[in-house]
Order: sequence, then structure tokens, then C-alpha cells
Amino acid sequence: MAHVQLGASIRRRLKLGRQAYPYLSVIPVLLVVALFAIYPILHAVRMSFFKYLLTRPNDHPFVGLGNFIEVITSYYFKNSLEVTAVYTLAAVSGVILYGLGVALLLNTTIRLARPLKVVILLPWALPAVVSGLLWKWILNADFGILNGLLMALGLIDSYIPFLADPTLAKASLIMAFIWKEGPLVTIFFLAGLQLIPDEYYEAAKIDGGGAWTIFRYVKAPLLRPVFLIVIVYETMAAILTFDTIFVMTGGGPADSTALISWFAYAEIFKGLNLGHGIALAILIAAITLGLIVFYLRALRSEDAAA
Amino acid sequence: MNAKVKRRIESLSLNLLALLLIVFIVGPLVWVAVASIQGENELLRQPPRIIPHNPTLDNYNYVFTGKIPTAYEVKGQLRSRISQEARLIPQALKNSFIVATSVMIVNLIIGSVAAYTFARKRFPGKEAMLNFILGSRLLPVMAVAIPYYVIIQTMGLLDTHLSLILVYLALTLPFTIWFLTSYFKGIPVDFEEAAQIDGCNTLQALTRVVVPMALPGLVAAAAFAFMTSYNEFLFARFLTQSIDSQTGPVIIASIAGNPDASYTLISVAITLGLIPPLVLAIILRRRLTEGLSTSITFR
Repeated sequence: MAHVQLGASIRRRLKLGRQAYPYLSVIPVLLVVALFAIYPILHAVRMSFFKYLLTRPNDHPFVGLGNFIEVITSYYFKNSLEVTAVYTLAAVSGVILYGLGVALLLNTTIRLARPLKVVILLPWALPAVVSGLLWKWILNADFGILNGLLMALGLIDSYIPFLADPTLAKASLIMAFIWKEGPLVTIFFLAGLQLIPDEYYEAAKIDGGGAWTIFRYVKAPLLRPVFLIVIVYETMAAILTFDTIFVMTGGGPADSTALISWFAYAEIFKGLNLGHGIALAILIAAITLGLIVFYLRALRSEDAAA
Repeated sequence: MNAKVKRRIESLSLNLLALLLIVFIVGPLVWVAVASIQGENELLRQPPRIIPHNPTLDNYNYVFTGKIPTAYEVKGQLRSRISQEARLIPQALKNSFIVATSVMIVNLIIGSVAAYTFARKRFPGKEAMLNFILGSRLLPVMAVAIPYYVIIQTMGLLDTHLSLILVYLALTLPFTIWFLTSYFKGIPVDFEEAAQIDGCNTLQALTRVVVPMALPGLVAAAAFAFMTSYNEFLFARFLTQSIDSQTGPVIIASIAGNPDASYTLISVAITLGLIPPLVLAIILRRRLTEGLSTSITFR
């Protein structure tokens, strides 16, 4: 008799446990994420409505949308938007061409595909700070190896100060971005390519298609979802580029590499104007969110069409 | 015959292209390693020597023991260029390692348990929770940098390993959850059902049946968590204040940020900082590639 009762109570507790289990199992993750998501957003939004100057720590008047208006109407905002747009466009299209090219190469049977496969991941694994410094050192105007090589090959007459010229500095940052982000894009495209059944190629070949025809009419359409994912991911990565700017150019020369996230950093840590910095950061969040929604729409209509 | 020649040329040019790419990818890494075993006087030449004439471990010796490299004594005026900070590198990398390993372990434990629930259970609020976790990463770090500082300060954790571990957990968990949830979903459910009929509860089914089958995914998730934490710079820069908790990227950037910095010592710092992620990337190459590929296949 007692035995049966015990059994029932255990069964009841088991049932309760089974209902509670899903919640108990996700609570640790939810707590950590919530701690660093909910409060920070509220805090940031609140701060953006007040004047916060670190040079006047005890004086925080409410300014409403003042921070946003001051930031948006400043010369630096217009400049940083232009710089960010040019940089993002070039970096994203560059990294996609590069990643797609490497993936197509890795998908062939040439002898050097294997060693290339071994090294392709390496840049992705490094801290961005470190890859930025690698390139800064290679591009050094006085002792850089790139200048040394170009000189030895007779391509230039005197050393080029790569990071002191607005256009070259931008190009250098874009190259560092492609070097660092290329591996991820490559892996994504390679995964997409390997999902395409061989029969498709066979069929295209029988129909007399050359390499370009096969790429244009077989590979490219089937890679569309990969293209979309890569574009979303790399656009965000490019807009939020910070570490490499920090070590390579510091936003210069003449603000030619002052991307919008660098502008936010400079407002906070150099201008000590927290209100401005956070207002900017919120604008960045709005821009990236807008882009993501746009892409997701595109992705969904893609699925609907398919 | 003609077709054969054409194919030879094609294969040759593709191989040449691959070789160029390999040089582009590996070149910078090799060059910084080469620079780190040169004396400052040899490195600062026009053009620099690709193969050093007097390779030396003096720079490494300085970083680890404090013995000033002889190359500096030759040119007295260059003495000021020795970056004292370079001596902090071993400790900084140790900090990075402690933080990254802790984040990785906690990620695996609470991340896989939660991801398994998201992959297999149906319960009210599931979609909302999942969206909340994944959506939390859409915030640009710059926007939350100051609130993070306030939180860490309030908790009395400034300049500790724990502060970085907490922040990096918040940064890496969403990816781990997203990645492992889709990975677990890809595993056939039959085995777990069999295990549960044999009397296993959910946790046992996870640890005994799913974990062994999901090992590649778990390794990849662990490596991602480790690398993200090991490589992070912005938060590390302003949540740490002393070498008690400053990580590799912070110290490396700070050495290099000094306009008077010694190039050979920067190279040593970079080379030492490169080793752990490179080793990880080479050992886990297959798993990482597989993991990344899966994450896209399961979209």
C-alpha cells in the first residue's frame, strides 16, 4: 500500500519535472543573455536623451533628441556615412568575389587545392587586431616589405606611404578585410557548391555547356541562398569594422577611414561625449537592423518563388 | 592532342593562381615570424631582408627573461625603442587563455543543454526565447559598451577575468545556441527515443546518445567560442585596467600603438599571439569547416 503511494508521488514529481525541464534547461543561457541585453539597451536609450560629457560628470541635463540632431547635422556624420558606404560596398563585393573565386578553385581537382584548403582558414582564426597589425607592418612607409618588393621589382621609384594617402589607406583597410573575412566566405560558398549534385554538371556538359555557362546557369542560381547569407553577414561585419581601423589608421588620414563605428568610438573615448556616442551607436543599430530586415524579406520572397 | 594541351595549360594556370593565393594568405604570417627573429638593426633596412643574415632569438629572450637584445646595444640611440610592455605578453596570453577556456567550457555545458531543449522539446514561449537569444546579438557592440561597463562596475568586477568571461558568454552563447540547435535537429531522433524507452531521462539521452553523435558540431561550437573570446578586443580594452586581466589583443595593440615601439618586439608579440589560434585552426580544420558548412546547410 505504502509502496503504491510512493510510486504515485514519484510519478507526479516526475511529471512536474518533465514539464519544468525545458524551462530549467534554458534558464542559465537566458539569464546571461538578458543581463547583457535588456538593461544595456534601456540604459543606452535613456542615455541618448541626456547630455553626458565626461568632462562634466555631475551635470546631465535632459536634451531630448538634441544628441541625435547634433550628431546628424555634424560634418563628421556626413563624412562617416560616405566613408562607410564606399568601404562597405567595396569590401563586401571584394570579399564575395574573392571567396567565390577561392571556393571554385578549391572545388576543382588541381594539385594545389589541398594545400590551399589547409591554409585557407588561418586568417579567419586570428584576432582582428593582429591581422590589422600584420598589414600595417607590411605596408609600412619606411621599412615595409611590400615597398621593398615593389622597389626590387622595379615597379616603383620611391617608397609609397600607403596608410598616409586617403585612397590608399581605404584600399589597405579593404584588403585587410578581404584577407581576414575571405576564409569564412570561401567555406560558405564551398559548402554550397558541394551540395550541388554532380548530375547537374553532367547534364550541362552533355548539353555542350562551357565552364562559364555551367557557372552562370547551374552554379550561380543554386548558390543564391548562400549569396544572400554571405551578403547579410559581411555587410554587418564591414559596417561594424573597428579593430583594424584602431590599429591601422586611427580613422585617418583626414578622416578618410573614419567609418561610422569609429566615429561613435571617437565621440565616446576621444570627445568624451557619451550622449553623442550612444546616439550614434543607436543610429548604427537602426541602419544594420534595417538592412537585415531588407535582406530577410528578399530571402523570404526567394523561398516563396522557389 | 590540342584538347590535351589546352587542359595542361588550364591546370597549370589554375595551380599558379592557387600558389599566388597561398602566398597571399600565408605570406603575412611568415613575414612577421621572420621579422621576430631579426635584430632591430637588420630589420630596419631598405629593402628589408626576406631571409635574415643573423637570425637570433634575442627578442624572445627579452620578452621572457628581460635580457636586452645585443642588437640594441650596437646602436646606442635605439635603446629607447625597446618596448618594456613587450614583457607583459606572456602574462597577457595566459589571461586570454584562461578567459577563452572558461568561456568555452561554460558555453558547451549550458549551451548544449539549452540547444538540445530548443531542438527537441515543444513548450510555450519557445519561439520567443529563441528569438530573444538570437536577436540580442544584433546590437552593435559600441551601443552597449558603456552600459556593459556600468554593469561590470556595479558588480565590482572591473579588471577581473570573471568580467570578461561573463561578457564573452553573452557574446558567444547566441551563436552556440543557433548553431547547436540546428546541429541537433539534423540528428535522427530514433536513437534518443530508443534510449528513453530504455528509461533514460532527457539529460541522460543528451549526454549518452546525442553528445557522442554530435561531437563534430560540439567541437566546432567550442572552437568558435574559444576563438571569439581569445580574439575580442573592444570590451577587453575598457573592462581591463592592469595586467591582472589584460588580454593578448589589448597588450599587442598597446605595444604597437606606441609610436616609439620596437618593430622586432611587436613582431615577437604578434608571433606569440598567433600561435594558439593557428594551432587550433590547423588541428581542428576539418571540424571547423564541417561545422561552418553545417551551419549554412541547416539554414
